[in-house]
Amino acid sequence: MTPQGTISEDERYRTSTQYRLWSFTRPSIHSLRTTTNQLAAENVREAVRRARETRAVASADVSEADTENSRPASAAPEGPPDVEVDCLTVEEELKLVMFYCRQTIQLGDHLKLPTEVKATAIQYMKRFYITNSLMTYDPASILKTALFFATKTENHYFRLTKFAEAIGKTKPEDVLASEFLLTQGLRFTFDVRHPFRALEGAVMEMQGMANNTIPVHSTFEGRKPTSMARRVKEAHGKAREYLKTSALLTDVYFHYTPSQIMTASLFIADEELINWYMATKLQEGSEVHGKVVKAVSDCASMLQAIPPTAEPSAAERKDIAALGKKLKKCRNPEKIDLVGLQRAKREGELAADDKIIKKRKLEREKSTKEGEDLFGPGIKKD
Amino acid sequence: MCSTCVDRIFTSGPTSCPVPHCGKTLRKKGFHKAFFGDLKVEREVDIRKRVGEVFNRRQDEFETLLDWNNYLEEVESLVFDLVEGTQKEKAEAEQKLRAYRTMNLRDIEENRKAGLEEADQERRREDEEKEAAKRRRLETLREEQEAKLDVEKSRRDVLERMANTDEDPNIISQQAQKVILKKSSARRKMADTATESNGSARDPNLTIRGLKKKIAPVLEKPYDPFGGIDLAPSRYALQDHYDNEWLAGAKNDARHMAGGYSLKEYYARTMFEAFSGLGVFIEEEVVNRGPPVTSPAVATAAAAEASGGRIKLGHKMELDDVF
Repeated sequence: MTPQGTISEDERYRTSTQYRLWSFTRPSIHSLRTTTNQLAAENVREAVRRARETRAVASADVSEADTENSRPASAAPEGPPDVEVDCLTVEEELKLVMFYCRQTIQLGDHLKLPTEVKATAIQYMKRFYITNSLMTYDPASILKTALFFATKTENHYFRLTKFAEAIGKTKPEDVLASEFLLTQGLRFTFDVRHPFRALEGAVMEMQGMANNTIPVHSTFEGRKPTSMARRVKEAHGKAREYLKTSALLTDVYFHYTPSQIMTASLFIADEELINWYMATKLQEGSEVHGKVVKAVSDCASMLQAIPPTAEPSAAERKDIAALGKKLKKCRNPEKIDLVGLQRAKREGELAADDKIIKKRKLEREKSTKEGEDLFGPGIKKD
Repeated sequence: MCSTCVDRIFTSGPTSCPVPHCGKTLRKKGFHKAFFGDLKVEREVDIRKRVGEVFNRRQDEFETLLDWNNYLEEVESLVFDLVEGTQKEKAEAEQKLRAYRTMNLRDIEENRKAGLEEADQERRREDEEKEAAKRRRLETLREEQEAKLDVEKSRRDVLERMANTDEDPNIISQQAQKVILKKSSARRKMADTATESNGSARDPNLTIRGLKKKIAPVLEKPYDPFGGIDLAPSRYALQDHYDNEWLAGAKNDARHMAGGYSLKEYYARTMFEAFSGLGVFIEEEVVNRGPPVTSPAVATAAAAEASGGRIKLGHKMELDDVF
């Protein structure tokens, strides 16, 4: 561990919630998603069965009262009652989440939000759907809430009414309906560490090295890449593109630290440059150096799986459309109307309050009435 | 018993108690007027007084605080026995009191004397203080009077000079002002030295005995919000200045800098984020985490929670369904 009294940059990263709660290994995240998916699928089947039962009861009532009208009532919109609901698999859910992440970027562009806000919103989506399923909660509404939350966490003020208006076909209640749901899904942690600022730092330092304003150890001076200043600039632009898209759409945030993601994006942009840079920072041939290089190249290959310019192909789009239809069929019927649920909950609380207030009022009236009586309240006869 | 009865029965000397079957011999000296309306309280106060005269040890006689507290407790329970106890307990307590008195006669006497002395000293000190305060008050009064007279006098001088000589009146009044100021400052200085000497010259008789030794206060170190943790970066050296075309505008723009924004903050943050976590290998480190600490359990909870109702988890975590 670190020597007493000093605390390294790594130790400080280990204190973040992103490290403590939102970092996973590949198998662990997969198993998490699988459990979530299975549980959600079970719940969906349960809920659909319940809905069918109530409908059956209702239709039976109708047939008793009016035999002529029984047919249209029993024609359920979800098909014959015996058919088991066809639920999404983990992979299908992942594809859809990715699609909705792209949607988030587009919506963010439409609202002219800065990159960090979009990035944070996407991480919220990704984090939320690790422990919650698309079948349970509608991604389209969670997306809006996530984006709205991100404007708050990233200190980019956006008035709620204006926000809802700008999205279109959205009311403020729609955005707020899943407010607490999302907060709980995020495990009450809003901090997302991004690699964007890190990139600025690394580029600034490399630029300084290129201009000889920052001294480099003599052993590396000779191996300096040629025309470094220009290459740094180019790498900067390219790396930024990767961070703005690939890093957000893939799972790199869960498996690597922002610093590693940033280095990986530079690695993709200019391998020679970044290898030299890493060598100046970490002792070449040391264990740490080897591990960092490996992590960075792994991360880079993960990033390259979705290049920044790549748009989903026609086949993929068709796939997504089909999945969207499938999702519509296997939605949990009890959780579709989030706004209604939220309102019902609030009104339930209010109703309870009302009851208490009414009761107190009645009591007060009674006692004052009795007090006004000249000889006090009457003696009750048993 | 009323005072008339006391007079009637006991003026002629000690007699036996008028209560039937009591048989104790009482004297007039032993009677006194009740101070409290509640006789029970009066009796307890009497008992306390009596016990306090015998058990008059002081805290500095004990080695530890615990011993002292134990002693206090013992005395208190004795008093309780005397006040509230049954006949038998009262007798026992009485016996104990007497035994203690005979055993520690010398100590009790000493402590009594010390107590008296202390009270005496306290009284003397208070008198002294009152006296000093009075003196100081008179002193200031006198000084004020003097100052007033002085000012008056110099003003008269000035007027006289103005009347008798043909100097510029402005100069004269200025000079006079200076003289007044000098005098008053001199007087103040004198007063200061006087009080200083007063404070340092303590009467040896007035020092209070048994005060704990004073320890010179240790010089306080400047507050360190990080509690001595060194946050110096290990992978980079922060420069005072970086070239960055994005920042060129901000550097020269008064609107950015007027608010107190420092570019160094930005440099420090970007550089820190560039290297914070470079050596953290999640694939290795997260594996070793115990399952209850990390998300799986919570995840299942969240997923199961979607089914509605509330679920109790193994590690005492309860989640409400949001809706």
